[in-house]
Amino acid sequence: MDYRLNLAKRMLFNKRGSLTAAVLAVTVGILVIHVNFVIFQGLFDAIVRDLTDYQFGDIQITDENDYIDRSDTALISWLERIPYVEAAAPRLTSSAEINATRFGQRHEESRVPVVGVDPFRDVRASTIHETVSDGQYVFSRNSLVVGSSIARDLGGVEVGDNLRLMIVDRWGQEQLRRFAVTGIVSSPGGQGFDYSVVMHIETLRDMMSRPGDTGSIMVKMRDPDRSAEVRDYFVSAFPNDDFEAQTIEEAAEQQLAGFRSGIAMINMIGYFGMMSSAFAIVTIQMMLVNGKTREIGIMRAIGARRRDILVIFVMQGMIIGAVGAGTGTAVGLAYTFYAKETRMSFSGSIPLEVSYDWGKISQTALMSFGLAVAASLYPSYKATRMMPVEAMRNA
Amino acid sequence: MPRSGGGPALSIRGLGKVYGEGAARTRALRDISLEVARGEFVLIVGSSGSGKSTLLNMIGLLDRPTTGTILLDGTDATGLPDGDVSSLRNRKLGFIFQFSNLLADLTVLENVMLPGQIAGAERADKEYAERLLRAVGLSGQMHKRANKISGGQAQRAAIARGLVNRPAVVLADEPTGNLDSVTAATIVQLMKSLAAKLGLTFIIVTHDRHQFGDVDRVVTIKDGRAFEGEHGEHGGEGAAAAAQTGPAMPAAADAGERGGAAQA
Repeated sequence: MDYRLNLAKRMLFNKRGSLTAAVLAVTVGILVIHVNFVIFQGLFDAIVRDLTDYQFGDIQITDENDYIDRSDTALISWLERIPYVEAAAPRLTSSAEINATRFGQRHEESRVPVVGVDPFRDVRASTIHETVSDGQYVFSRNSLVVGSSIARDLGGVEVGDNLRLMIVDRWGQEQLRRFAVTGIVSSPGGQGFDYSVVMHIETLRDMMSRPGDTGSIMVKMRDPDRSAEVRDYFVSAFPNDDFEAQTIEEAAEQQLAGFRSGIAMINMIGYFGMMSSAFAIVTIQMMLVNGKTREIGIMRAIGARRRDILVIFVMQGMIIGAVGAGTGTAVGLAYTFYAKETRMSFSGSIPLEVSYDWGKISQTALMSFGLAVAASLYPSYKATRMMPVEAMRNA
Repeated sequence: MPRSGGGPALSIRGLGKVYGEGAARTRALRDISLEVARGEFVLIVGSSGSGKSTLLNMIGLLDRPTTGTILLDGTDATGLPDGDVSSLRNRKLGFIFQFSNLLADLTVLENVMLPGQIAGAERADKEYAERLLRAVGLSGQMHKRANKISGGQAQRAAIARGLVNRPAVVLADEPTGNLDSVTAATIVQLMKSLAAKLGLTFIIVTHDRHQFGDVDRVVTIKDGRAFEGEHGEHGGEGAAAAAQTGPAMPAAADAGERGGAAQA
């Protein structure tokens, strides 16, 4: 082993307090980045996940003229023949006025979003049915699934209650129907249908006087990475239609844009934290250098060059960086593992979508290692400027 | 870097050192010229503050003189860049300090090997370091941490470290100053026997001349000037002149021959 590495190691490991403090500084810096990533990227990914699963699919197909007038069955069959596509389902949306009478008191809600689903296809392309907290999902043409917030606003509607729902059809006529509530949906995070009601798509088509029309088709991919490819393929296959196909990132851009800049800001705060740990390392290394003045003088006296002294203290920075980056990454990964395995959420909110981003993990570890080395440069340089006689005299 | 032939181990010409400026200006050394032959065992004595340690620091290339030249084993060390000075210090000089100055983070053996390792891997001779440690009576302490041995043992280890690169000159600054009289006597004997056995040139600064008994030469420093012999015995300007022609003195000439023979 190079004597300089041996000396760097011994001098550092014999000052356990300083070593621990320096390693902790690096570790905490990395941990802040990991925790930020798990929470904020996890939250972002969870929102994307829920938007994908509940509303848009991996690809959302719409028509520039508001409604797709081609047969949804034909389009879905076409899509499902693509090997990358797992399932597709039609959706139709409108808004309604709803009223319910509970314990002799009438409750009304207006402009409630109404979503029409094909219950058999929808359960394959979406997981919204899994958000049914009470009762069951849409199973017949006169069943209605009510969002938990709407149910609360309607005086605490429960499964088995009757609701009257009014929609203005395409001709301006009011269409009023009575439905039996068969399920209540409740999803943490608010990306589900908590503020909507869900009914059979054929019923909604009838009420809107739009037989055969579809608002959108959500496509669930076996391999989401192929979404752009399938999107382009679909659009090119129907050149004479006014279809618009968007990946989830495109479809949900409006919802995600603000959040994305928020994440960038939080990440910046994390990197500032890492910079603070670099300052801590400068301080600790300065203490180490000042504590080793006599040793520096002795080494210089027996022939060590300034470069040798520089190398010894830079190596200390490398050791601190390596141990700190290793520890920080290990602790960060442990936290990530815990968050992923426990489907971490805060106060019953949306469960985080935790992933291991190895590129970012490596980048963070390398950056903190580099910062630790950079932070040791000035103290190391200071060490090289000591004259042997003064160093031994002043020690 | 030029290497010497068979000239003196050390040659100093017109060495002066001034500290400070203006009213705070202090002349620590004044126009010192001195030659030390190979194999000489030289004591530098003087009262506290006389400048003897300053002179040793100049000879040891630990500090730069204000005036004069230093030829170490034939190499002019004056004006060399810092890297070359370090290299010269490492290859041509051995240091023994008052407080042993071993590195507490290393073992005794690692301390002794360190100058060799600094010189380069090819000179990091572990076997030679072990032999030296056995020679100074530390065969059982080699693998102990340097701060776990006694003061006397540490000073022995420091002697071994000072010799490990086979230096042209070994410089010792009050090597017994921190030891009790019995240990000090042992250390003096050890240095003398190693000097005789290995033909080494020793320059020792001490305030306790009597501890060293018979030596080849004594140079007294008084008020920053060098005088040949012990001050009071050979004092005065004439003695100062004699110090400048040191090798011509009989004892020094004998030592030079002995050193030459040992090197051959």
